[in-house]
Amino acid sequence: MILVALAAGAFVAAEWDFSALVEPELRAAALARMLAWAQTFAFPDLSGEFLRHCWALTLQTLSAATLGTALAVVAGFVLAMGSSRAVCVGEEDARGWRRNFPLRSPAAALCSLCRLVQDVLRAVPDFVWAVILVAMIGLGPLTGALALALNITGILAKVYSELWDSVEERDYEQVRALGVGRLNTFFYGIRPLAARSVQSFTLMRAECAIRNAAVIGAVGGGGLGADIWYQIQFGAWGKVTTLMIFTLALTLTADLAANFIRRQLRSDPNHPCAAKLRGTTGKLLPAYLGTGFVLGVVFWSLWFMGWGDNAPPGQQSRNYLQPALMLVTGESWRNLAFFERLLQPDFDLAALGWGGTHRSVELFADYGPLEFWKPAAWVAWDAQLDKWFVWRVIKSASVPLALAIVGTLVGVVGAIILTYAHSLAFQIEPSRFTGETPHLAVRAVRLVQLVLARFTGLVSRGVPEVMWAFLFIAFFGPGLLAGTIAIAIHSLGVLVRVFSETVDNIPYRRFEQSFAGSRLNCFGYVAAPICWRDWMTYSFFQFESNLRAGVVLGIVGVGGLGFFFTFNFEWFRFEKAGTYLLMIIALTVVTDRISRLLKLSRVGS
Amino acid sequence: MKKSVFLLLVACFIFAGCQKKEDSAESAATDRRPAKLILTAIPDDNAENMREYFGLIAAQIEQVTGIPCEYVHVDNYAASVTALATGRAHLAWFGAVTTAQAYMQMRDALEVVAARDIDKEFIAYFIANADLNLEPIDNLAELAQLAQGQGWTFTFGSKSSTSSHLMPRSFFAEQSGKAPEAVFRTVAFSGSHDVVLQKVANGEFHLGALGQPPYDRAGEEIRARAPIVYTTPKFTNYSLSARADLGADLIGEIRSVLLNLHETPEGRQILDYLKAGKFVDADMSEWLGYVDLIESGVDIGG
Repeated sequence: MILVALAAGAFVAAEWDFSALVEPELRAAALARMLAWAQTFAFPDLSGEFLRHCWALTLQTLSAATLGTALAVVAGFVLAMGSSRAVCVGEEDARGWRRNFPLRSPAAALCSLCRLVQDVLRAVPDFVWAVILVAMIGLGPLTGALALALNITGILAKVYSELWDSVEERDYEQVRALGVGRLNTFFYGIRPLAARSVQSFTLMRAECAIRNAAVIGAVGGGGLGADIWYQIQFGAWGKVTTLMIFTLALTLTADLAANFIRRQLRSDPNHPCAAKLRGTTGKLLPAYLGTGFVLGVVFWSLWFMGWGDNAPPGQQSRNYLQPALMLVTGESWRNLAFFERLLQPDFDLAALGWGGTHRSVELFADYGPLEFWKPAAWVAWDAQLDKWFVWRVIKSASVPLALAIVGTLVGVVGAIILTYAHSLAFQIEPSRFTGETPHLAVRAVRLVQLVLARFTGLVSRGVPEVMWAFLFIAFFGPGLLAGTIAIAIHSLGVLVRVFSETVDNIPYRRFEQSFAGSRLNCFGYVAAPICWRDWMTYSFFQFESNLRAGVVLGIVGVGGLGFFFTFNFEWFRFEKAGTYLLMIIALTVVTDRISRLLKLSRVGS
Repeated sequence: MKKSVFLLLVACFIFAGCQKKEDSAESAATDRRPAKLILTAIPDDNAENMREYFGLIAAQIEQVTGIPCEYVHVDNYAASVTALATGRAHLAWFGAVTTAQAYMQMRDALEVVAARDIDKEFIAYFIANADLNLEPIDNLAELAQLAQGQGWTFTFGSKSSTSSHLMPRSFFAEQSGKAPEAVFRTVAFSGSHDVVLQKVANGEFHLGALGQPPYDRAGEEIRARAPIVYTTPKFTNYSLSARADLGADLIGEIRSVLLNLHETPEGRQILDYLKAGKFVDADMSEWLGYVDLIESGVDIGG
C-alpha cells in the first residue's frame, strides 16, 4: 500500500516527460541513436597510445580511490563510535520514548551531533567537497582522494553505527555485566559481533569508490570517471568502449580482490568444501594474507601518488602527497572563510513579510483556509507560495525523490527476477537439495543462464549510474526518464549481487526439507520468504543511496534539486546554494532517521 | 588520563592559533617571487587539447621568468575560480563571467594580464540541427516565434560560460522578451562548447549556443550538420588573469610573454589553437560591466 502510494506520489509530484517513448518521431530518433551507439560500440579504440592513456588513468583512479577509502575506513570507524547509540550512549536499561530524545544526556547529545556530522559528510556531493578542498590544499589527485574520503566517511560511519546499534543488547550483556566501561563493551562485546557485516560493507564501499571516482578529475587529478564523462558527452563511442572495458576490468579485479580478502578473513567451517583439519599456521595464515594484501594495496597507492609515475597524460610526475602538508598551516584553514556564505542560507523571509517591507506572498488572498476542499484553492496557494524562494527549494526535492522511488522499485523487481538465474544454489548446485542428477545439456543451459545473469549484473553495477545517465540522456534527452532508467539499471546490478548472496547463504538443508519438485517454486516459496527481510534492508539502503544519486544526476542534466544547487554554487551565489544544500541535508537526515527507527539492519540472526 | 588528553587538545589549539598569526604576517609581505607558478583554465575544450596548448603557454612563461610553471587542468569552472581566489593557482585563463566572478571574490587582488585581440569583440553563434532547415535570421525574436509550439530543445554550454550561456541568454531575453525556458521544451547545459556542437549536430538537441573559436576550430563535416542560424552582437570575453600579489614586475614579465607570443613559432602555434592573431593589453575595467550585470541579479535561469 505504502509503496503504491509512494509510486503514485512520485509520478504526480514531479514533471515526467514521456514524449521520448510516446511520440513516434522522437521514439524513432531515440532508437536510431541507440543503434548508432550499438554499432560504434562494437569497435573500441584499441590504438596503442590510447591504451597507454587508459592504463595511466586506471592506475590513477585505483590509487586515489584506495587512499580515499582507506582514510574513510579509519575516520568512519571513529565517527561511527560516536554516532552509535549502543557504543556512545549505552542505555540498555532505559525504555520507552525517552530513548529517542536527543538532549537527555551529554552522551546522547554527542551522539546526535556525530550523526549530524556524518549526514552532512554524506549529503554534500563529493564535487563540492573537492572545490572546498581546492581552497585548502590546491589542485591535484590528492584533493580528489580527500573529497572522496570525506564522502565515504559519511557513508561508512552511517553503516557501521547502524550495524553496531542493531546488535541485540542481550548478546553482549555478559561483557557489560562485568562492569567495564563503554569502550571495553564496544571492543570486546559489540564490535566482534558485527565484524562480519562491517567487513563486507567496507569491501563493497571500496568497490563503489573505485568506480565512482569521477570527482578526482574535476579538480585536476585525471582518472577514468572524468574521461568517460567527457567522451560520452562527445559521443566518441569507440573511446567510450575502451574506457568502459578498463572500468569494468578494474571493477572485476576489485570484485575478485574483495572476494579474496573476504575468503581469507572469514573461513566458514560449515561449508562442505571447508578443510577442517589444519594446523595453527594453516588457521592463521589466511588472516595474515588478507590483511597483508590490504596493506600492500594501500602502501602501493601511497607510493604511487607520492613517488610513482603518476602524472596526467603529457605532464611531469610529481609528489602529489606534498599538498597534505598544507593542512597543518593556518592559511589553508583560513581559506575556508571563502565558503562562509554557504553557512548563511537565504530563507527569503522578506517574501513572507518578516524583516522586510516588501511582502510578496499573500497566501490567503484569493481563497481562505476554510476552502481547502476546492482544488482551485490549492492551485492558487501553490502559485502564491511559489513566490517564496524556500518553497521552490522544497519543491525541487520532488525530482530526486521521484527518481529514487521509481528507480529503486524497478531495480528491486528486476533484481528479484534476475536473482533466480544469478544464484549459484539454483543454477549450479541444485542437485545438493533436489536429489536430481541433471543431464549434461541441462547443466550446460543452467551454466549459460548463470553466466549471462552474472554478466548482466556485473555490467549494470560496474558502470556507475552517472555514466548510465549520460547514455540515456544521449538517447532520450535530459529529464526524469533517462535518470530513472539509469538508477534502475544500476540498482538492479547492485541488488542482484547481494540478493543472490543471501540466497546462496541459506543452508541447503532448509531447501531439502521443503523441496517439492520445481526449482522455481522452491525459489519463490522457500528462498524468497527466508531472504525477504534482508532484501528489504538492502533495498532501503539502495533507496538511500539512490536518493543521493538523484541529487548527483540532477547536476548532470536530470534537473531538480541537484541542478539548482550546482547552478547557484557555480555562480558563487553561496547564500542560495546554502538553502539548497540544507534541503539536500534534510533529505538525507530524514531518510536516515526513518531507517534507524525502522531498525532495518540486523546482525547475527 | 582524560585531563591530560584535554590539555593536549588545548595545547594543539593554542599552537594552531599562534601559527595563524605568524602566517598572516608572512603573507602580508609576499611581494617576493613565488617558487612555482600554477596556471589553470576554465575547461571550455577537451582536456587533451587544453593540456597540450596551455602546457606550451606555461613553458613559455617558465622560459622568460625563470620560475617553474605548470598547467593544471580542472573539469569544473568553479574549481578554477576558487583556486585563483584562494591562492592555490597564480594564473588563470577565464571567460568574462569567471573573470567577473573572480573579481567579485578578490576585488583588487585580481589583475588582468592580457586578452586576445578577438576577446575585445567576441561573438557567439546560435546553431541549429541541419534537419530543421532553418534559414539564417537577423533577430532572436524571430527564432522565438518560429519555435513557438514546436517542442524544440535547446542546449547551452557550461552554466558559468559567457559565450555559450550568459550572453546568448541575455541577447535572447533582450530581443524576444522571453526567457529561453519559456520558449523551448527543454533547456539544458551540456557542459562545454564542443559538446554543444556535437549534440546539435547529431540531433540530440534541436538548437544550441556556443562561442566562435570552438565552432571555427571544428571540422567542415560537423559544421555542415549544425549550421549557424544567428550571430550575436559583439561583447568582451576571455582574459588571462593573475593574482596581484605576484608583484608588478613578475606580472609585467608574464604580460610581455603573452604580448610577444605571435613572434615565435611555438607562440603562433598556440595562437592558431586559440584562433587569435595576437595577445593585446587589457585592463580589469573592461570586464566591470559584467560585474554590474551579475550583481544586478540578472535572470540567469537557475
